[in-house]
Amino acid sequence: MNEQDLITRIRVTYTKGESLRFTGHLDIQRLWERLLRRSGLPIRYSQGFHPRARLNLASALPLGFISDAEMLDFWMDKPRPVDEIKQALSSAAPPGLIIQSVEGISMSDKSLQSQMHASEYEITFFDPQSGEKLQEKISELLAADEISRTRRNKSYNLRPLILDLAVIQLESDEWELGMRLLAEPGQTGRPDEVLEEMGYQNTDVLVKRTKLMLS
Amino acid sequence: MPETQPETLQRWVERILPTVAKPGRYVGGELNQTIKPWDSVHTHLALVFPDIYDLGQSNLGIALLYDILNQRDDIAAERAFSPWIDMEAAMRAAEIPLFSLESKRALSEFEIIGVSLPYETLYTNFLNILDLAHLPLYSRERTKEHPLVIAGGQAVYNPEPVAPFVDAFVIGEGEDAILEVVDVYQAWQDAGETREKLLVRLGGIPGVYVPSLYDISYHNDGRVNQINPNNPAAKQTVDKRIMAAFPPPLTRFMVPNVEVVHERVSVEIMRGCTRGCRFCHAGMVNRPIRERSVDEILSALRSGLEQTGYEEVSLLSLSSSDHSQIIALIKGLSDLLCERQVNISLPSLRIESFSDELMNELQALSPGGGFTLAPEAGTERLRNVINKPISDDELLATARSIFQHGWKTIKLYFMIGHPQETMEDVAAITELSRKVLQEGRKIAGGRARLHVGVSTFIPKPHTPFQWAAFEDPEIIRQKLNLLHEGFHGAKIKMTWNDPQASLLEAWLSRGDRRIADVIFHAWQNGARFDAWSEHFNSDIWQKAFEQAGLDPDFYSKRERELDETLPWDHINAGVRKSFLKRDYEWSLAGKIRPDCRDQCYSCGILSTFSELRLTAPDGGWKCP
Repeated sequence: MNEQDLITRIRVTYTKGESLRFTGHLDIQRLWERLLRRSGLPIRYSQGFHPRARLNLASALPLGFISDAEMLDFWMDKPRPVDEIKQALSSAAPPGLIIQSVEGISMSDKSLQSQMHASEYEITFFDPQSGEKLQEKISELLAADEISRTRRNKSYNLRPLILDLAVIQLESDEWELGMRLLAEPGQTGRPDEVLEEMGYQNTDVLVKRTKLMLS
Repeated sequence: MPETQPETLQRWVERILPTVAKPGRYVGGELNQTIKPWDSVHTHLALVFPDIYDLGQSNLGIALLYDILNQRDDIAAERAFSPWIDMEAAMRAAEIPLFSLESKRALSEFEIIGVSLPYETLYTNFLNILDLAHLPLYSRERTKEHPLVIAGGQAVYNPEPVAPFVDAFVIGEGEDAILEVVDVYQAWQDAGETREKLLVRLGGIPGVYVPSLYDISYHNDGRVNQINPNNPAAKQTVDKRIMAAFPPPLTRFMVPNVEVVHERVSVEIMRGCTRGCRFCHAGMVNRPIRERSVDEILSALRSGLEQTGYEEVSLLSLSSSDHSQIIALIKGLSDLLCERQVNISLPSLRIESFSDELMNELQALSPGGGFTLAPEAGTERLRNVINKPISDDELLATARSIFQHGWKTIKLYFMIGHPQETMEDVAAITELSRKVLQEGRKIAGGRARLHVGVSTFIPKPHTPFQWAAFEDPEIIRQKLNLLHEGFHGAKIKMTWNDPQASLLEAWLSRGDRRIADVIFHAWQNGARFDAWSEHFNSDIWQKAFEQAGLDPDFYSKRERELDETLPWDHINAGVRKSFLKRDYEWSLAGKIRPDCRDQCYSCGILSTFSELRLTAPDGGWKCP
């Protein structure tokens, strides 16, 4: 058996809770590097002057969003039982980051980013909403063939990126939105852009990612 | 105004956070944050660093006090920092008071607010903090219903410029003193006395200065005439507070969830310095030397790395290569760095303390980046005047050794505007720098690099140069031009300070109590973040001096009389005025004062703290 066979690839699914709501993607990456160092697991580091833990996040989550379903892969130099890994990661995690599951992944699997297909989100409103109004706005949006927008000076059509969009009734007068957006390399729908089309700002809502769908 | 209940406050804040830059600065919730149920403790103390989170969260002083205070069950210490410009606007628009990061409580709900003032350019931010907390700025306008406002840090060795805004200062090292302030506060609460009584009680704590207990009188020309206690309980002079033994290192290291300026495990290895550079405030006020043992340093670093997962460590001191066990320390560090796969950021090292052994050990740490040396002046003559006696040959030999040990970049720090500096001294900076680069070229060829940092000398209180004039900004500009010309075509990168910003520091650092009005007007005119070059506005300050009816040149350009009463004469930093005076006279004569590790020159430290020294473990201090 050569050394390469001992290297293990681990996939973690985790919650990014409210206390990490304003920690952006790059900061989450650094947060994970430090979490891995604290965990005491035999983490695989890059070579060179500034060794960095090797890790791979599935999909960037915009600043201000929370999530129940974030995923990342990291690599270890030696195998460890999954339970032990979960325990080590959990005790090294900062407030707001909850390890949900840990599994071993084949070394030859494609990278997480390239497997991404779609993301699901739940949107709750800070102020009371009318269910009817929400439904109207949704129907209008879904009826369109093209929703033309620009992102970074490039125009694109938002409509095909919306795979699903629905109103969900929680209480008699409490509503939230559910949406599934395409998240493939080069064509990723952003919930804040859908919300903007419906007339909502990021100060009106709390967006939670609930699922990452891999292809 | 929104309700200041924490839940309501938090909802309001959440609504505005998505509209500001880097909202993660305002939410707390970091790993190893300490949060206690509000009603479970007796005393709530807000620790404030009056600049943004990115800087304040990296400040070791705040971290240490937070740790020490929270180890007590009856105290909750929480943090608050300055909001950035956009957040301040949003908070003012929504009438949200400044709140703590932990409990999201308005600062006015705390019993005590402790403000760190390590440098003078934070003063307007400090006033802004009080205003954002909806508190009266002036101490005399606050009542028993308001929090007690205390301040400490390196700048308050001259407390007078901010004296009218502060109820009590802790002069010197705060580790023990801050706990005594809380004890006195609690005893006063139990006794149910007036606010005046609290201030008198606080004035009885060693190292604590209560400015309202002192009256200042002035001569007609504006110089201070007398500083007199107006209360029998007030000490004639306030001796600074020091710790006999090195206090324990941080036990809980917080890890921010957003990027801050220093993300590394920092451990203080030594306090104080015996070199006696005459311009150096830190070197004078932080005496005597106390060292942390190699074992304690390494175990603190190890614990810090375990708790944080950081990739970098750093050693803090005024002069790390003067640590008596530096070689053993670096050997221990090599093992630690290798075992943990982390890096070290090298501190600046003294040119005269270099040895081949030290260089070999340092090389083994394989640190990236450049190597920093601080000759401070261009000629041997001027280096004698400032008491940094290094010969050109020594400097060149050190530079050679650095390049030979594999480094490609050297940074040289110089100051201009020293007392007795001539244009020849300034021109010599460029010649000396060129020679250093030549040494590098001989060894590393075209890969050798030299950066030169030039700052402006600012006379500081409690130093031998406290009587000296601050150089005219026009002459500073001429000197900078001379340097630019001198470096032309030399492939040496030069960075420098804005002379106007140095001027602000010069006004404030040796200011008297009257200059508080200038700070107030400057704040009112919109001065904020004066330490940030893009925000500092010199016109605002000129106008503030006019409004206060004071002459800025009086504070910066004027050479003080050797026998005049200085605004900080009632503060004893341990080093006596008579010693400083003699040292100033020596400097005028070009006479150096050797490192005082070998021979005591009676600076005053040992006579001020003779009893305390007896309690220091195994001789403790590096005084002979």
